Order: sequence, then C-alpha cells, then structure tokens
Amino acid sequence: MYKFFKQILVLGVIFSLTVLAAGCGEQEKPQGEHSTETDIYTVADATGDWGYPSPYAHYSRGPGYVRMSFIFDTLVWKDDQGYVPALAESWEYLEDENAYTFKLRNDVSWHDGEKFTPQDVEFTFNYIKEHPYQWVDSGIVERVEVVDDSTVKVLLSKPYAPFMDNVACTLPVLPEHIWKDVRDPEQFQEEKAVIGTGPFKLVDYNKAQGTYLYEAYENYYLGEPKIKQLKFVKVSEEMAASALKQKQVDAASIPPELAEDIKKEGFNILESPSDWNAKLMINHQKPPFNDKRLRQALAYAIDREQIVSTCLRGYGLAGSPGFLPPDSPWYNQDIEQYRHKPAKAEELLESLGYTKKDNFYQKDGKVLEIELLFPGNSTSPGEREAEMIKQQLEAVGIKVNLRSLEAKTLDNLVNEWKFELALSGHGGIGGDPDFLSRSIIGQGFNSARYTENESLVSLLKEQQQEINEEKRKEIIAEIQKLYAEDVPALTIYYPTWYWACNDKTDLFYTRMGIAIGVPIPLNKLAFVK
Amino acid sequence: MHIDYWQEIKHDSFGRAGLVLISLIVVLAILAPLLTSYQPHEYTGSAFSPPSGQHLLGTNDVGQDIWTQLLFGARTSLIVGCGAAVLALLISVLVGCTAALFGGVYDRLIMRLVDAMIVIPPVIVVILVAAYLRPNMLLMILLLAAFLWPGGARVIRAQTLSLKERMHVSAARTFGAGWPHLLVHHIIPDLGPVLAATLIADARRAIFMEAGLSFLGISDPSVISWGKMMQHALRFSYLDVWKWWLLPPGFALSLLISTLAFLGFSLEKALNPRLRKGVGHAGH
Repeated sequence: MYKFFKQILVLGVIFSLTVLAAGCGEQEKPQGEHSTETDIYTVADATGDWGYPSPYAHYSRGPGYVRMSFIFDTLVWKDDQGYVPALAESWEYLEDENAYTFKLRNDVSWHDGEKFTPQDVEFTFNYIKEHPYQWVDSGIVERVEVVDDSTVKVLLSKPYAPFMDNVACTLPVLPEHIWKDVRDPEQFQEEKAVIGTGPFKLVDYNKAQGTYLYEAYENYYLGEPKIKQLKFVKVSEEMAASALKQKQVDAASIPPELAEDIKKEGFNILESPSDWNAKLMINHQKPPFNDKRLRQALAYAIDREQIVSTCLRGYGLAGSPGFLPPDSPWYNQDIEQYRHKPAKAEELLESLGYTKKDNFYQKDGKVLEIELLFPGNSTSPGEREAEMIKQQLEAVGIKVNLRSLEAKTLDNLVNEWKFELALSGHGGIGGDPDFLSRSIIGQGFNSARYTENESLVSLLKEQQQEINEEKRKEIIAEIQKLYAEDVPALTIYYPTWYWACNDKTDLFYTRMGIAIGVPIPLNKLAFVK
Repeated sequence: MHIDYWQEIKHDSFGRAGLVLISLIVVLAILAPLLTSYQPHEYTGSAFSPPSGQHLLGTNDVGQDIWTQLLFGARTSLIVGCGAAVLALLISVLVGCTAALFGGVYDRLIMRLVDAMIVIPPVIVVILVAAYLRPNMLLMILLLAAFLWPGGARVIRAQTLSLKERMHVSAARTFGAGWPHLLVHHIIPDLGPVLAATLIADARRAIFMEAGLSFLGISDPSVISWGKMMQHALRFSYLDVWKWWLLPPGFALSLLISTLAFLGFSLEKALNPRLRKGVGHAGH
C-alpha cells in the first residue's frame, strides 16, 4: 500500500514538472519571435512621460505632440524641404472666398479598419470649436463644407496667413465614429482614444516608467513603415551617449561636449537650429513689474552673453529682446538690444523712486526683493542660469531669492500668475512667425499674455491677416521693436542641441519645425520611407 | 560611575582618530576663506579645468573652484549637523526625562507618540514640506530635528528610569525637590555621557540626511552643500570631471560621518563596561 502511494506521488511530481516545463516552453516561444531586433527603433528621452498620446491628453509641449503625431495625421505635413501631402493630396487657396480646398486621399483607413471620410475632417473642425484644442485657434475657421466624397472646403472667418503651418499641418484629424460621443476629451484615455490614421499604433504607454511602444500600421497610406516597432525609453542625457554606443538606443539627444566623440563612433550628429528659447517670464501684472521701466532695468542688468558663455559653455546664442533669433528670416536687428549696462539699470531704478542702501535698492523702507522660480530637474535653463541671474541682479542692487520647483509645477504657477520671475522656455520660434501672437497675447504658460500695449496687440492680429509676405515682414519687424521696448518677457538664449542617431534611418529637422514649430528631429516620415 | 570619559576617549585609538579628524574638519571649515583665493559662487572663467596649482581640485561646469566649494560645503554640513543635533537633543531630554519622571498615562502617551514618529520616513515628509515652503537652512535644521528627537528620547527615558531609583535622587525627592530641580541637579549631570552619545549619533544622521536631501535637490539653492555638489557632478558623469568633482565631496562626507562614528564608538566603549578592555581606568 505504501509503495503504491509512493508511485502515485512520483508520477504526480513528474506530471506536474512536465506541465510546468511545457508552460515555460510556451512562454518562451513568442519572446523568440520578438527578438528580431533589427526592426525595433528605440529613442531615448530624458524626461520620459509626456502624457497619454491622444490629441487632448498629451502634455502640451513639443515632445508630447510628437508622440501623438505618430498616431494621428494632419491634412498636410512637413519634411525637411517644406509641405508634403498627408491626408490631403493637394490643396488650394481661394482668395475671393478666403477658403482652402483640400483634395483628400481615398485610400486612407483608420487603425480600426473604418474608412477615412471627408466627414471626419468636418467633424474635427466642429469638435475643436466645442472642445478647444490648445495648439490650434479654432476661431479662425468659420465652417467646413464637404464638397464631394473626396473634397472639403475650409472657410475662414478672416484672412489668416499662418493657416498652412498652424492649422493644416498641426490639427490632428479625429475619427468621427469614435469621438462624436466623447464629452470630456482630456479624460478620454482608453484604447479607442488612440485610433488614428498615422503610421504607428500605440501598443503600450507606461506613465510611471515614461515609456511608449508603437507598432507599425501596415495599411498606412504612404506604405508600410520601414520601422516595425518604435519605442521611447527614459534615459538621462548623461547616459544617452553610452546607451547609443552599447546599441541600447538608436537615437538620443546628447550633451554638446560629446558630439565630436560620438561622431567618431560613426553616428550621425544633427545640430539644432535656434528654434527653442530659454525665457525669463515676468509677472507684468503684479507691481512693481507692471512698470515697463523696471522690466527694462532687468533686461539691462542681465548679461545674456555671459550666461551663454558660462552656463551653456558657448553652445547657444544670446537671446534677442525682440524674441526672434538672429538666424530667422524674420529677424529685425533695429531694436533695443539691451546690451549689458548695469549703470543704465540703476538709472532706471532710480527714476522709479528706488534708493540704494546697504547694496540693495529700497522704496518706502522696503527692499526690492524678487523671487525667481526655476525648474530644479532641468539642466537648461535650470539652477545654473538661476544662480547667475541672481548674481547679476544682486550686483545691480536687486535682491533675488531662488526657488527650485518641478517643471510642471512651475508651468502651473506661471499659468495662474502666482510668480514674480520664472525661468522657462519653449520651442516653436522657428515655425511660422505667428508664434509671436501665440507667445505674447495667447493663453497658456508659455505665453507672456501681455495685452497692455494696444498697438502691439493690433499688429499681432494684423500680421495674421496679411497674406503679402513683404508687408507681413514689415509688421513682424515692428512687433519685435515694440516687444523689445516693453519687455513682457525676456529671451535669455537659444541653445544649440545635438541629436545623434545611427544609420537605421536618417532623422532630420523639419523645415520650420514639426506642426507649429517643434524643434525635434523625430518627424514620423523618417520612420516610414 | 567614576569614569573619566575624557581619558577613556583619549586612550582609545578610535577616539583619538575621531578627535583629530573632527578638529581638522572644523578648523578647515572655519578658516575656509583663508585657504582659498576664490569666492564659492565666483565664476572664474574656465569650465571643467583639471586640478592645477591655480585650482587645487579644478573647476566645475560653470567655472567655480571646486576646492573652495568643498571648504564652504563643510560649513553647511557642520552647521546643519550641530544645529539639528542640539535641537533634537533638547527635545529628547525634555520629553524623555519628563516621561520617566512623571510616568503613568503621560509616559504611555508620549512613548506611543515616539513610536509613531519613528515609523515615519523622514525624507518623504521633508520632500513634501519643501514643496510647500521654501527650503532654507533654518527650516532644514528644524525639520531634521523634528525627526531626530524620538530615538534619543527613548534612550534618555530608559536611562532616567534607572537613575531616578538611585539613592541620592530618592533622597532629594524625600526632601521635597520638584521635578525641575531633580532634572537639572541630579538627572542631567548623570546623563552626561548618554547625552554626548545621542548628540553625536544625531549629528551623524542629520549630516547624512542633509547631504541626501540636497542631493535630491531639496535645499536652499544659494547654499553650497556637498550633496548638491555631487548632484551637479553626476550630470557630467560622461566627462572625466567626476574624478575631481564627484569624488572629493563624497570622500569628505564619508570622512565626516565616519569621524563621528569613531567618536560614538569610543564613547560607547567608555560607557559600557563590558566593551572595555580590562578595568584599568576604573579606579581613577
């Protein structure tokens, strides 16, 4: 009897081991299939999480938009040369009607298999009127007409020069059959929210780890993407170079000091144009900053050249007070340049009634004391720039207290006007010059939201409606002059960034930036053709 | 307890090493401005220069002299360490002694509070507080002291419980001495060595926590600290600069902490008869 039990036990053990082994074998199999590493393209990102990549849920900064742009298409797109057809094969501006007609492709399908129709385009324009999409001003489009089953006509409410860049190349077209029932698009974060027409489908998004995994959409209308899987992983910038060398990632933004080194290893190095600016936000609604003389004093006291040469170690350009970088075709050099003149700053402060006592300026017994916020976890601009600005302002006699904050908290405080000075920055300045109206009178934490100067506001509106390029250039020049005079915010510098990538595909900087001017070389077309 | 603690520490090799090193660090920190020709925040113009006669430990990413920062960083560590330790000790003594002397519900309540405090992870709470308040050195000292006192309070309570049963304390009580009198004239003098040990342990933890917090970016941005130096240096770990930028503050911090640990060891040896080699000094 005992022997019998023993036999059963042994049999049982053998049986369960076999099952276990079989189970393991089954699990290993798909892993083996996935290990064809050649088709996976991995991009390193220092921040990681940029929000759920649906049009309304991504974090409102360039990298967030880029992650969404792999999934959603726009009517027109851009490559390194200029506009290229996307959902629209061709387009035309009808001057007498102030409308654009788009001839749409017939062979486009959504990721869920539904056919893309002109009604989707019409729906999208109507949808953003109800639920404003922060990257597109929905007020410029009056209505959309579906002319036939492959043509739509977009009628504008007023002439709008930057329409191609800021609407046609920026607005992601939404599938009507999914979004028509969505009342709260910011909260709509499920599988259906990421069904688009783009070259990639979202497979996985991990907020905590900051990773994104996309898979090629084989029915993409421009052909099946040559990259089968696209992956974003979180890798700090200082580790990016070794990750590249060890073939863990295929593309990464790298520290400028390493560009030469990495180039020797056989990687392609891309040097960014001056499309991003580090900006000193000034709370011009709050005394004493509501007086432009004080803001001018700040501009004279801050030595932007020294910040570039020390904090950036020369890898960048000193900021122009007119906002546009010197290498922009719209740049105006006949503006107040605010070369570093501490004496001039002191003169301005004294004209405001401040008197210097114990090294610091005072008025009515109160020391002129400013709090400067800076993003603590960012390197550019970050603590180093803040420390230097503090030293420069204190040398003139303005006391500065520094406060380090997490970048998203800082953006929120700026948005709610709960700050005095803040170091921040944004891209888009290489895009259509209409970024000026977005960043001066527009809403959001990247904008100075400065409407005190009426002629500046009306010029910003005027340039939008000026279709003639020469005349528009004159207006933009005048805007820079007024902006520099009022200093609603001060551009500190334009950094030069370096991206390195291997030869799996050639990354490129998009002409005038992706969409409204995102200066990141991750254009989706680089992964398709 | 007729032990000359000073003699004990002096004759112990750990104690001697600790005393020499701590005085060295204190002297370096006090004389910092005399030992360097730069200001800690001064931009000297050349970034990432390797160690040379001009810059003993080279310069950092914005061209500040690292040797100067190291010296001034010692000041921060010492001030925060001592400040937090002294403050924590005061609270510990007050809480521990009163709990032991009064006993009853008060004792139980206070000791459960201490248990609860010990469980709270200090770093997370400090991060939260720093998110709302602007972290400066005083706030840092207060916060650290707030988390350091419970450990000491427990030890002091236990010691007081045994002390209060001693003859001279009972005698004083019989003559009608109130608790403040007992505390000041009888208990605290006898607590001496325990207090010193608690003080050193608290200082060690405070210095380590301060460095850790500033490494995480929670500190007054205008105060130079070893933790922050390491944080900045780590961003450039892909260059050679870590050799003269990351290692020195790391070594300095380890040295200061081990120095305090040495002093703690030798004090403990003096306090605990079982740890002493022989009883040669006992009769002095």
